[in-house]
Amino acid sequence: MKKYNQNAYGDYFISKRYPDEAKLIAVLSDGLGSGIKANILSCMTATMLLKFIEGDQIQISKAAEIIMNSLPVCQVRKISYSTFSAIEVDDDGNAKIVEEGNPEFIWIRGNEVMRPEFHSIPSKTFKNRCLKVYRLKLRLGDRLIFCSDGVTQAGLGGRRLKLGLRRDGLIVLLQDKLKENPEISSTELSQYIINQARNIETDRLPKDDTSACVLYFREPREALVFTGPPYHQEKDAEYAKIFDKFKGKKAIAGGTTANLISRELNRPITMDSTISIGKLPSCSYMDGVDLVTEGILTLTKTLEYLEANTPDIDNAAGKLVKFLLDSDCITFMVGAKLNQAHYDPALPIEIEIRKNIIKKISKTLQDKFFKKVNIQYM
Amino acid sequence: MEKQISVKVCLGTTCFVMGSSNLQELIETVPKKYGNKVDVAGVPCLGLCSIDWEFSKAPYVKVDDEIIKEATVEKVLKAIDEKLK
Repeated sequence: MKKYNQNAYGDYFISKRYPDEAKLIAVLSDGLGSGIKANILSCMTATMLLKFIEGDQIQISKAAEIIMNSLPVCQVRKISYSTFSAIEVDDDGNAKIVEEGNPEFIWIRGNEVMRPEFHSIPSKTFKNRCLKVYRLKLRLGDRLIFCSDGVTQAGLGGRRLKLGLRRDGLIVLLQDKLKENPEISSTELSQYIINQARNIETDRLPKDDTSACVLYFREPREALVFTGPPYHQEKDAEYAKIFDKFKGKKAIAGGTTANLISRELNRPITMDSTISIGKLPSCSYMDGVDLVTEGILTLTKTLEYLEANTPDIDNAAGKLVKFLLDSDCITFMVGAKLNQAHYDPALPIEIEIRKNIIKKISKTLQDKFFKKVNIQYM
Repeated sequence: MEKQISVKVCLGTTCFVMGSSNLQELIETVPKKYGNKVDVAGVPCLGLCSIDWEFSKAPYVKVDDEIIKEATVEKVLKAIDEKLK
C-alpha cells in the first residue's frame, strides 16, 4: 500500500525461490522519503541485496554489512537512504535473517511470540547503523512476519492510538487473527495486516508506504493439473493411473481430457446444471477430482486473472485460480495432442496452443506468486 | 414409465465458441415444456469436432442417438418433438 497522494511505492519487496537449492530468499526494503525517490532507493537496495545473497559467494550477513556500510546518507535529513530486512531459508527450516532499520520481525510459534537471539554488527562507517543477524531453526507451523514502519506507525498522531499501532499492537492483531483462523494463508494474512493498518489511519489515508511480508513454514500443498490428451493414445491408461495415484489436489482442464479420465478410471462425470457462467463453460464433477473444467478457454481466462490479480470470480477460471493459489507445488501434465477443429479459421475467436498457455501460466505462478511449478509433457 | 429422452449439449471448446453457450435457455425451457419426459444436460465434450472438423458443424447436440449439427434451440426442440410423436 502506498502513501496517500503518491503515485509510486516507496517500499520494495522481492522474493525468489531456488528449487534446485531448495531455498527461498525474500527482501523487504523501505526507501527514505516517499514517491519516486523512495521507490528508486528501496528498489535498488532490495535488488542488490537479493543478487548478493543468491550469488552464494558471501554470507548473507556479510552481504548485508557491505550494503549497510555503503548506503549513503541523505544530505537534508542526515539519515540512511533505505532500510532493509532479508531472509534466506531452506526447506529444512534453517533461516538466516538480517535487519537494518526496519521494525523487528515477529516470529510466531503456536500463537506465541518467540524471542530469537541475535548478534549485532555495528557499522564501521556510520555510527547510527547497526545490523542484526539472526539464525533460526523453524518448525512446521511457524510464521515470520516482516513489515515496514508504515505498519507499526499506522495511526500515529491519531486520536485513538497516539503512538501508532506499534509492534505490540500488531502482535495482538496477529494473535487474534491466528486464533480465529490458524491455517490462514500468507497471502491473506499479509493482506489482513495492510487492511488493518489502513483502517486505523485517520481518514484511512496511509501516512507512509506500508508493506507486510509473511512467511509460513509448513508442508507444501501439492496439486496436479491434467490438461489435454496424451499424444500417443495407447498411453492414456498409464497417464490416467498416474493421475489417480497422485497424492494432493487434482484438477482436469479439458472436455476430452475429462472424458478420457472418466473412461480409464471408470468414473462418471456429472455436469453443473447451468451451461455457462461469465462466458465460460461451467464446471463438471467427478469423484476424487477437485475441479473439472473446459480446457483452452478456461486456461486463457485463468492466465488473464492471474496476471491482472483478479480474485474471487465466480466462474470456472476463477475456481482454477483459487485452486492454483491455494497450492505450493503445482505439476502440470500437458497432453501434446492437438484438436484440429480448434485451428479452423472459421472459429469466432482465436484459440491458443495449450503448451503456450501453460508455459505462461507457469511463469506467472513462479514469478508473481512464488509457486514451485513442474511441467510434464505427455 | 415412458423412457426419458436425453439431450446432451456439448460444452467442449469448439462447440462452446461456436455457439453452445447460447443453448443455455434449453435448460429452462425444455423442462417447462416437456416436464420430465426429457432430460437436458451439458457434457464436457462429445468428441465430434475432432472427427468432423473439415466440415466444422459445431455446436453439436445429441438427442438420444441422433446428432444435431450446427445446433440451435429450434433444431433441438424440433428433434425432441419428432421423438415424442
